[in-house]
Amino acid sequence: MAREAMNPASPSNTPPPAPRFRHGFVAVAPLVPGVAAFALVYGVVARQVGLSLLATTMMSALVFAGAAQFTAVSMWGLASGALIVVTTLMINLRHLLMGASMAPHLRGQSATWKALLAFGLVDESYALAISRYLRGEGSREFFLGVNVALYVAWVLSGLTGGVLGGLVMQPARWGIDLVFPLAFLGLLVPLLTRPVTGAVAAASGLVAVVAAPWLPGKGNLVLAILLGSGVGTALEAWWTPTR
Amino acid sequence: MDTYAVILGMALVTYATRAPAIFLLSRRLPSALERFLGHIPAAVFAALVAPPLLAPEGSLTLGLPAVAAIPAAAVAWRTRQVFPTILAGMGSYWVLRWLAG
Repeated sequence: MAREAMNPASPSNTPPPAPRFRHGFVAVAPLVPGVAAFALVYGVVARQVGLSLLATTMMSALVFAGAAQFTAVSMWGLASGALIVVTTLMINLRHLLMGASMAPHLRGQSATWKALLAFGLVDESYALAISRYLRGEGSREFFLGVNVALYVAWVLSGLTGGVLGGLVMQPARWGIDLVFPLAFLGLLVPLLTRPVTGAVAAASGLVAVVAAPWLPGKGNLVLAILLGSGVGTALEAWWTPTR
Repeated sequence: MDTYAVILGMALVTYATRAPAIFLLSRRLPSALERFLGHIPAAVFAALVAPPLLAPEGSLTLGLPAVAAIPAAAVAWRTRQVFPTILAGMGSYWVLRWLAG
């Protein structure tokens, strides 16, 4: 098969499709509890801001992007629908980079496979699939197995959280609104492994706070994101004189 | 804007970030653009973190949320997971609120 010939690993060492799919399931298993817990919190808070159980679940099933869904829910009712969609786009722009690095490994696959695998391209599945491909052990079935496991866990846990979220009363009394910044803190802190990322975060956070009174409707977020990323890009261009 | 229209819009823009590169890309993006895109996640999360923790009433105030964020950040650094971070932050917040009366 042409696909086998493209694979640097010897075809005789590559298991058939069904086991490869199962290997994807197994490889992603350690990440599932964290994803499920995040989805659970998403479901609870989505209901708290007034989304129906159907809308809460539909967002998980159609968008399938944790950070973006969480952000959308945190802006729900405070910002316009258009700004929520634009913010979703900005948060997910990173997938463009992941797709770009995945593209060479999916060359030669059918459009159906590409379309299917692209839908499941999230941080966790990218990390697992690309590391397999780089070791010469990657396959579309492995990638799909990872995607399916993550998708099922994400949608079902979000649904469960949505049911629970409909039961929690008086969210303000428990300080539930604090869950949002804490979740984003949990997403931000692991990214701070380089000084330049710290500078990006500091600039963005500062702009978001300072600009809040002048740019209502969460417009301060857009300014903060653009300036913060711009600061990082400028600093990197300055520190690393690559021509 | 209708709830389902917003959800559909989110779904479309999200897929629009995932599919095109896989279908079309044969070479890398310009490096400055790649760097800019790479910095966006940290910028987004920082912009969402800072105002509610550091300026809950609009102006800079170091209140209970900011203090509760310190143990939460430590847990985030160690575990690299969202759920333990939320537990640590909410737990600290409740303890602090109880101590403050």
